[in-house]
Amino acid sequence: MSPRAARSAAEWTTFAVASLLVLTLLAVIALDAAQTDTPAAPVAKQSGPVEEVGGRFHVAVAVTNEGDETAEAVQVVASLQVDGDTIDADQTVDFLAGGDQVDLIFVFDDDPDDGELQVAVSGFTVP
Amino acid sequence: MPATEVHRGPWATEAVDLVRAVSGGLLFGIPLLFTMEVWWTGTSTEPGAMVAVLGLTFLVVVVLNRTSGFRSTKNVRLVDAVMDGVETVALGLLSVVVLLFVLQEITLDTPLREALGKAVYEAMPFGIGIALAHQFLRKSREGGDEGEGSTSSASTDRIGATVADIGATAIGAVFVAFNIAPTDEIPLLAATMGPGELLALVGVSLAVSFGIVFVGGFSNEEQRRSQQGILQHPVTETAACYLIALVCAAAMLWFFQRLELGAPWDATLSQIVLLGLPASVGGAAGRLAV
Repeated sequence: MSPRAARSAAEWTTFAVASLLVLTLLAVIALDAAQTDTPAAPVAKQSGPVEEVGGRFHVAVAVTNEGDETAEAVQVVASLQVDGDTIDADQTVDFLAGGDQVDLIFVFDDDPDDGELQVAVSGFTVP
Repeated sequence: MPATEVHRGPWATEAVDLVRAVSGGLLFGIPLLFTMEVWWTGTSTEPGAMVAVLGLTFLVVVVLNRTSGFRSTKNVRLVDAVMDGVETVALGLLSVVVLLFVLQEITLDTPLREALGKAVYEAMPFGIGIALAHQFLRKSREGGDEGEGSTSSASTDRIGATVADIGATAIGAVFVAFNIAPTDEIPLLAATMGPGELLALVGVSLAVSFGIVFVGGFSNEEQRRSQQGILQHPVTETAACYLIALVCAAAMLWFFQRLELGAPWDATLSQIVLLGLPASVGGAAGRLAV
């Protein structure tokens, strides 16, 4: 270690770039804060065609938080009605930030294309 | 051979200082980078809290910069500590954003607030590590050089130095990665990683290992360059010790029953390469202590 000398041009350059980066970050946070937050609004919808895998039927479901605030423990329910019977399946998404999306797969023994499939969010926790 | 001070120009000195800073950040901050609760905390953080966390990080690193810091200087005045504090926070943020991108915890589809929150929270331990960078392993700088290179049996030295390096790499790898190996974060992250991300992770692991041992100017870097072991060329040592870190990572995953026979090989490889990052950071730190 040596006593601190005057800052070199290299050190000033680092400081300038670092200051710019931190100020930019603060400005972005301020802009984000200036926007009015909408409440968490997770929605679920089928995101692709039914696929048969190993004799069972896979349904891709996208869960998107259309609000700005975070939703926790998002319960997603898929109900399949085939030949008068209703088969329910559910999954929980632990954490869904505002604007974030999670992809789920529901698995059924019956082909959802032969019946009526409904996918919905049944509830969530506000952190 | 005693460690000697290398004369560098101001730009090279600055580059070494910055590599040292990032290395210190990795040594201190890597465990929390693999902690999903920190990601979640960052994800649900409001902008006001982000500014508060940044401010707290800044205060902590300014205090640490008065006594340690990442530069090879002493008698740090308050104004220097404050300026270095700005650089510390910026370097911490930059480092974690790059690593979170490589780990796929931040992608181009990640909402802005989530990315900001994760970066701000993860930057705090990195900032502390950066501010303590010069303090890390200082003991070996001050007292670990005696007798190096002075014995007469060159071949014995080479084998002994090589064995010591392998042992130190393994111990360091286990020391840092052991408490990450059994966590759910490893399979969780591994599931999201494709070949491109894994290659990037291998590159980052090698670069970090090389930077800590041969660029960062930590402790006995010059001694390491002059050591006699079979692996002692910087490039071969870095590559060989990365392989040792990967073997240690696989062993730790096996120990915690995270590796299963019959599991898809690519999933197994992803987990090993992921744990290889903290293992290689620990392995590099371990070699500096030899």
